[in-house]
Amino acid sequence: MWSLVARSKLWWGLAAIFLIGVLTSPVSSKGNNIFLSYGNLLDVLRQVSITGLIATGMTAVILTAGIDLSVGSIMALCSVVCAMLLTVPGWTPAAAMGVPALALTALVVFAALTRFLFRSMAATGSVGRRDERRLDMTRGTLLPLAAGAAAAALVLWFTIPQVATKFGVLGVLLVTPAVGLLFGAINGIVIVGGRLQPFIVTLAMMVTALGLARLTAGQNNAVLPVYTGSNAVAGFDVLRSLVWGIVPVPGLFFLAAVVIYGAVLRFTSFGRYLYAIGGNEEAARLSGIDVNGTKIVTYAVQGMLAGVAAVLFVAQYRQGKPDAGTGLELDAIAAVVIGGTSLMGGRGSIAGTFAGVLIFGLLSNLLQLHNINSNLQLVLKGLIIVGTVLLQERNLGEILGNLRLNRARGDPATREPPEGETEPRRYGGSANETS
Amino acid sequence: MKRREFIQVAGATVAGLTVTAYLPAGMARAQDKKWTIGFSQATTIEPWRAQFNKDIIAEAEKHPEVELIITDGEDRTEKQVADVENLIRQEVDALLISPKESAGLTGVVEQAIDAGIPVFVLDRNVDTDRYTQFVGGDNVLIGKAAGEWTVNALGGPGKAAGNVVEIWGGMGTQPAHDRHDGFHEFTDKEPGIKYLLNEQSGDWKQDQAYDIMATALRSNEDIDLVYGHNDPMAYGAYLAAKDVGREQDILFIGIDALPGEGVMWVHNGELAATFLYATPGAEGLRQALKHLNGEEVPKTVVLDTLTVTKENADEILKANGLL
Repeated sequence: MWSLVARSKLWWGLAAIFLIGVLTSPVSSKGNNIFLSYGNLLDVLRQVSITGLIATGMTAVILTAGIDLSVGSIMALCSVVCAMLLTVPGWTPAAAMGVPALALTALVVFAALTRFLFRSMAATGSVGRRDERRLDMTRGTLLPLAAGAAAAALVLWFTIPQVATKFGVLGVLLVTPAVGLLFGAINGIVIVGGRLQPFIVTLAMMVTALGLARLTAGQNNAVLPVYTGSNAVAGFDVLRSLVWGIVPVPGLFFLAAVVIYGAVLRFTSFGRYLYAIGGNEEAARLSGIDVNGTKIVTYAVQGMLAGVAAVLFVAQYRQGKPDAGTGLELDAIAAVVIGGTSLMGGRGSIAGTFAGVLIFGLLSNLLQLHNINSNLQLVLKGLIIVGTVLLQERNLGEILGNLRLNRARGDPATREPPEGETEPRRYGGSANETS
Repeated sequence: MKRREFIQVAGATVAGLTVTAYLPAGMARAQDKKWTIGFSQATTIEPWRAQFNKDIIAEAEKHPEVELIITDGEDRTEKQVADVENLIRQEVDALLISPKESAGLTGVVEQAIDAGIPVFVLDRNVDTDRYTQFVGGDNVLIGKAAGEWTVNALGGPGKAAGNVVEIWGGMGTQPAHDRHDGFHEFTDKEPGIKYLLNEQSGDWKQDQAYDIMATALRSNEDIDLVYGHNDPMAYGAYLAAKDVGREQDILFIGIDALPGEGVMWVHNGELAATFLYATPGAEGLRQALKHLNGEEVPKTVVLDTLTVTKENADEILKANGLL
């Protein structure tokens, strides 16, 4: 019973902030609670969508004990690409970058999928060592390549006619994430291939992508405005409207990402590999897990989610610009950590991140509704990040106990490590999962 | 070829190709120009700065004897200091600088003067009077114009009434405080005007202003006028109001009046008015040339503002080839 309460601590945090919101909210003239009003909660869902998408991908990256600092810049670059595709016809830098990126992505993804399919088919019935189900030349290389090439040809057939005019909604929804995916994959390949720290590789990508975003936009276009119906297709408004007048579309993207990626982490071997790699990379490698491939895919997906977030940014704020994602990576990391994922890797869950993102979003909304000075808002947010993480990681009793212990001994240097650090590490999203 | 090598070679090739593709066409330096003028820009990433650069480049093209070198401080003081030092080493004939911040750039301005280079400080001043000339707009003056317009729009002096939302630029920046102070010099005399938001900063950005306004619209049922410290923020607030169908009840005003932004939005009827914050690009270069040609220049040049409303917006757009 007590462990259940302890395990659901995060949701208590979310509930608490929600309750504070409801109780302290200003009231409209008709007597309605403004915080609780449907419109306001939708605003919150919409506002957290962009950070949320990034944080979802970031959770997987952090689970492998990695970090991705480049997401903000990749999103900025993608927002420029998206806005440029929508508003400028012809082979602009955005089209020259985006169309090949999409073709390459289609080639690789479909080739890999076909190969995976053949291997699964070959594996049925023969449970055995890997080399016993090796594929022959046709099914192992030629057919997957053919399938990939067909997919690439298909997307080229779809996108190239759009270059001459301007891109439509589906066009940017395909091309922009592909650009993000490409840059994410480069992150992964350099980290794995060069055996470098993710921190420094993605830091380099952060700078590079920002520079590329500025170069793509051009010196004289600090901001690329998107006026739907005048310089871009009117249909692009779909991405910021409400479905049946109820659910905001950006929110749907975020929820879909949470559900899909959450399920992948929990139910597929790929997801379990992430936990294993984060727990002990060497052990994972020795147990035959394709550590390198898994990591590259993780960073690539993170880049792709940044691309999706960029499309939503352009739709929401009607502009693409090189400074769109400034500080976004840190917001996402904060949300992931508030959600209980360990920066050391191997422990955490997407569900936690979802709660973390909502806590952050509700908090911002609450402070804004109370009309708190912008500078003070930053201070309060900082305090709440520390407070939430502290409650996540330690029990209240533990914190108080430590204080008492220190005072009794009078010498903090000689004290024992706090209990929480000696406790054996759990792998998996929550305690009831064992893998 | 080993895999590792292949990655290295492929990486280098891709990087090389990318760089080549993006290299500007005119890298070769012309040697036959009479004057080399260095311009240290603080950043180029915001639209007003981009316009600033456009203005100064357009002016330079009118003077064939001028070779203009523009550097980008990338919004960082230390980068801009290095840029200016670099320009001093290149022995430019005149230095134009638009400082990112006053204190941090004062040292290099003095350094340039010591090296015998005339310095023209643009837009934001430095903490010394050892410069040749300062050219800039007056944010208090512009704030006053916005305040006076607001009072008239809300009922006229003495009987103006309404709820005003003010969206700040950067809270720690002088332009934001000046635009605030100038505005309040007029509106504070009107007891009927109420201020709804308490110092909310949109950091000069359209997207942040959108989010601030979205929440303000939830907690305030009655808003009459939104004053954004720049046009993109006023426009962001307009979009937020439009998304909940309340844009017709509210007047939106901003500052800067860039042709492609504020003026266009006024023309479209989205903003009610915008107030010109002229870039000192063209005027700064003209003054520098005057000085180089031996003429006397005044110590300070203040650029005028202009109220842009529906009446004169079209004219400005036509003059800029946007209509």
